[in-house]
Amino acid sequence: MVARPSLMIPTLLMPLFFIVSFTGAFSSLSRLEGYGTSNVHDWMAPYAALQGSVFAGIGGAASAADDIENGFFDRLLLTPGSRLPILLGTAAYSGLRSLIPTTAVLLASTLGGLSLRGGPMGLVCLYVATVGMAVVFCLLGLTVAYRMRTMRSMMLVQVVGFSSMFMSTGQVPLHFMEGWLRVVAGLNPLTDVLQFARQGFLGPLTWSTTWPGVVALAAMVVVTGLAAGRSLGKMAP
Amino acid sequence: MAGPDLVAAVRQTAELARRSVLAERRQLLNILPGLVFPLLLAAVYSRQFSRALAMPGFPEVDSFLDFILPACVVQAVSFGATAAGTELALDIENGFFDRLVASPVARFPILVGRLAGASLVAAIKAAVLVAVFLAFGAGVKGGPAAVLVIMAVAALLVLAIGGVGQVLAIRTGSQEAVAATFPLVFVGIFMSSAFFPTALMSGWFRVVAENNPITWVIDPTRRLVIAGWSTGDAIQAMVVPAAIALVTVSLAVRALHRKLGRS
Repeated sequence: MVARPSLMIPTLLMPLFFIVSFTGAFSSLSRLEGYGTSNVHDWMAPYAALQGSVFAGIGGAASAADDIENGFFDRLLLTPGSRLPILLGTAAYSGLRSLIPTTAVLLASTLGGLSLRGGPMGLVCLYVATVGMAVVFCLLGLTVAYRMRTMRSMMLVQVVGFSSMFMSTGQVPLHFMEGWLRVVAGLNPLTDVLQFARQGFLGPLTWSTTWPGVVALAAMVVVTGLAAGRSLGKMAP
Repeated sequence: MAGPDLVAAVRQTAELARRSVLAERRQLLNILPGLVFPLLLAAVYSRQFSRALAMPGFPEVDSFLDFILPACVVQAVSFGATAAGTELALDIENGFFDRLVASPVARFPILVGRLAGASLVAAIKAAVLVAVFLAFGAGVKGGPAAVLVIMAVAALLVLAIGGVGQVLAIRTGSQEAVAATFPLVFVGIFMSSAFFPTALMSGWFRVVAENNPITWVIDPTRRLVIAGWSTGDAIQAMVVPAAIALVTVSLAVRALHRKLGRS
């Protein structure tokens, strides 16, 4: 990341594009009764930040896939010691990467009048959620990369990331949705993470919004971590 | 161009178009995301934006599905639009282009053949998408004629965007450089009236969306879907991408002449 900062450009530009296009195209939604805020930035900024984190996480896994393709990973596996740091190192790198798009989205949204009604703890919730999501999608990406051993396989993870974010309360509240989408978004753990990340921008923080998000995040980290560990174990017993 | 030359050029164009269509058919997995992603978007948006239909400024529509149909088609064809450029770049990279130039093939079919193939695929994609929308309850008030216009718009858009891809392919000879144009098209679609009416936008974003050529294509196409047949709308929907295609394909031809002049 430090040696080749240009690699961060897509990670930085994508969420900025999301925040500009979502707030621009759908700004009038905040005029609808029950939307939750009168400023669309309060609603969309956490969504764009989480989208950016998902891509930051997949980007971290993609760098591992690149290492697998170019043979560096095989040399890494020849070194003595536990395999766990390989996994944890990549996940930590992805979490760190996510700080950049999140901060960029916050700065851009501040220009659009973003308000932090929940105080500084609201920001903490957002950063915990975005770092957590980057780790989750990095671990998911690593699970796929260790099995398929190609960079191209990251496309699959991108589709999963994009679709699951889309079928959550990213753009409108749950009670605005109808039919199958309402059911899917209600069951989608990313909805809980989004509500946890977003609460500080809509009002004061509440425990009833916090704990489902934290539990969903922790559960996803554990599940994807176990899956990635298993894939790595199969690849390098 | 004399008679026999013209016949030969048309035959060569058809042959290269067929090659392009076969290449797309062989890579069905590359076509699928271009169909699945816009359909997913339409499915989600139609279930989450239904309250917006009642907002003042929103055009009168039976469902959000009707409203988003043209956007879905534009988005789907834009996925494949850069393929004509990347294919040409691949041919340059692997040496096929040099062999083609050394053969007695006219210059124009080298470009137009690929674009024609991609346009044909785009028109078929548009027909498939309309059929899926109709199956899920959407309606095209303009009738079969409007569906034909939608297919024509899809084909012309591919010519317009593919022309840009071919200019880049000729100038850089790199697939990556051509593929980099896709995000720009994606941004262009989002910053238009594709997903929400410009009347409900505000500030600089509204100005950009109103002056975006994609809006000039989508709005009349949408009126054919939600309001009914209008010859004026049909002409506007097709003239805008046709004019852009004329410019971009001309630029591609010029770039090819320059490249061949240098070599």
